[in-house]
Amino acid sequence: MQPTSQRFDTAVTEAVRQQLETFVAGTPGTTLAVLTSGDGFEIAAHPRGLPTVQRLAAMSSSLQALSEAMVQEAGLVRIRNLIIESDGGTVIVLGIGKVTPRLSLTVVASGDEILGRLLWASRGCCAALEKRLLASNA
Amino acid sequence: MSADRELKIIFTGPMGAGKTTAIRAISDAPPVSTEVANTDQATVAKATTTVALDYGQLLLEDGTAVSLYGTPGQERFSFMWEILCRGAMGVILLIDGSTPTAAEDLRSYAEAFRRINPDQPFVIGVGRAPPDDHRLDDYAKALSTRGIVAPVFGVDVRNREDVLLLVETLLCVLEAQSFETDHAAH
Repeated sequence: MQPTSQRFDTAVTEAVRQQLETFVAGTPGTTLAVLTSGDGFEIAAHPRGLPTVQRLAAMSSSLQALSEAMVQEAGLVRIRNLIIESDGGTVIVLGIGKVTPRLSLTVVASGDEILGRLLWASRGCCAALEKRLLASNA
Repeated sequence: MSADRELKIIFTGPMGAGKTTAIRAISDAPPVSTEVANTDQATVAKATTTVALDYGQLLLEDGTAVSLYGTPGQERFSFMWEILCRGAMGVILLIDGSTPTAAEDLRSYAEAFRRINPDQPFVIGVGRAPPDDHRLDDYAKALSTRGIVAPVFGVDVRNREDVLLLVETLLCVLEAQSFETDHAAH
C-alpha cells in the first residue's frame, strides 16, 4: 500500500486542492484547509507550502484519534466533529465519510468567523471531497 | 484505582518496537489505544500505527499505581513525546533487535528523550533478539559513552513477566536515585 499522500494521482490531488481553495475563498475567516490521512499525512492543502501544514496534519490525526478514544470511553458511540475554540480563532477537524483508509479535513479560521457558519461550510466541503474521492476510487 | 503512591512512566521506541503490545500485556484494564491504519507500508510494513498515545494502568503489590503511557513511534508525532513526558518519572525504551537499525534507533530515541527530560532514568528492552544476544552489552556500552547508564534486557513484549521486569527495574532505579538524593542532602 502506498502512503495515502501518494495514493491519489496528481489530477485527483489537484482537484482536491482546488476544492479546498474554493472553500477557503468562500468562507470568510478561514485561513487554512488541509486534507489529512488517518495516520497524519498531508494529502492536499490550501494555501500550499505553509511550513506548519505537515505538523498540523500530524496533530489533527492525533487529536482525532484521541477524541475517538475518549468518545468510546464515555460510551458516546461515534465522534462527529472535533472543535477547538481559542482566543485567536477556531480549528475544526471533520472525518470524510465513507472514504477508506480514513481521511479528515482540518480547517483553521480566525476569530471573526461564526462557528455555526464555519461548521456548515466545512461539512459542505467534506461532502464535496467525499464525492470526488469516491469517484476516483471507483 | 486506590493507591498508596502514583507514578507515571513512558513506553517509547520506534514504530513496530512493541509499545502498544507491552502496555496491553501488563495493564490491569483494557488500555486506551489510538491506533489507526498505517498507510506508509514502505517505511514500516505494519497494519496499524499509534498516532496519539496508549494508556494503561498497573497496580503493584506494594500499592503503587503505575500509569503507563505509550508514545507514537514516528518522529513526525514527536510533539506528543514532549506532552506525554510531562510529569513522567522514567522511560522504558523498546527496540526491535531484529532490525539493522536497532543500535541507531536506540541512540536516537535515548538522546531525544534525554533532551526532553535530562534527569529521567531509562530501562531498555530489546525485542526479537536471541536469548544470548551479545549485542545487549554493546547497546549498554554505547549508551554509557553518551552519558546514559541504563539496564538493557532482551524481552518478549507479549510476555507479561518480561514487561513487568522492565517496569520493576525502572522503579528500582528510581528508588536508588531517590536514596542517593536523600543521602547527598544529609
